[in-house]
Amino acid sequence: MRFQPAESTVPEVDMTPMIDIVFQLLTFFMMITNFENLKADERVKLPDDSRAKPPLVSRERDLMLNVGFERDTEGNKTNPAALLFLAGEQMPVLQCAPFLNREKRLFNDLGIDPKEITVVIRADSEVPTGEIQELIKLCQQQASGNVGGFQKFALKAKSERDAQ
Amino acid sequence: MKVRGAGKQSGKIDLQMAPMIDVVFQLLIFFMLTMKIIAPEGDFNINMPIGAPAEQQDDDIQLPDIKVHLVAGPGGGLDGVMLGRRNLGNDDQAFERLNNEILKIIGKPGNPLTKDIEVEIKADYNLHYGFTVKAIGACTGRNDSKGNLVRYIEKIKFAPPVTPGA
Repeated sequence: MRFQPAESTVPEVDMTPMIDIVFQLLTFFMMITNFENLKADERVKLPDDSRAKPPLVSRERDLMLNVGFERDTEGNKTNPAALLFLAGEQMPVLQCAPFLNREKRLFNDLGIDPKEITVVIRADSEVPTGEIQELIKLCQQQASGNVGGFQKFALKAKSERDAQ
Repeated sequence: MKVRGAGKQSGKIDLQMAPMIDVVFQLLIFFMLTMKIIAPEGDFNINMPIGAPAEQQDDDIQLPDIKVHLVAGPGGGLDGVMLGRRNLGNDDQAFERLNNEILKIIGKPGNPLTKDIEVEIKADYNLHYGFTVKAIGACTGRNDSKGNLVRYIEKIKFAPPVTPGA
């Protein structure tokens, strides 16, 4: 009596469709990831205005300032003072002159006139306008060593179409 | 003569897919975890040169600048939008009215005569910044049916801040 040779019991999985799908997903996530927004702070609840448009040409250099409040998980303010959020630290808006002067000198040392730098202000919609104006004033002031201040400003807002 | 390897193996190279799939999965997980769904953000540009009045040319017709005053109520709410001496109200439609009034002043968008008009926004110190941005938006222009911005005013600046009690 002759027996058929037994086939291997390990099933051969066709990986091609899975790899196709994984590559599609990878491409999708790579395309929609926006590395420009890494400087944005999630604690800041921006005001809405559908007329706020992203710049047509992205700025080569800018200085992003996030101004907001400390909030709990439900979004309520835990501290009424407006703070400037920096990487790893935060400070009251009206006490940020040393930080701004450091930035002005840094740009100056790099051979860039601070006048050419756009200060992008991402401020919470509940911050008193006066504090934003004081912040702009601090940005405009000269730093030590006769380094000029910033003169170009951009105010960020969420540009949802239905947010008018 | 015996050729080495002849007839023993096919010419097909067996690619090792496993390392590539490992790396691709790592990348996929990285991008999935770092993805943040955020609303698109836009800018309003304001020019604030320190202590430098706008350059004036004598041969040009100088049109008066538009002054908008945002009055704060208790708690930082909006108590009124003033265009010059006119009160445009403090409801949601106040900014729409401001937008319409700005259009009336400039005549039509892109009017070369009104290109140099500047809007000065004077906001009370405690007014919530969100209202100030709405006023800037109302002065900037309007969106057409395709969502493109029709610009009314190019130059917007803030009046110097006045601290409460000063």
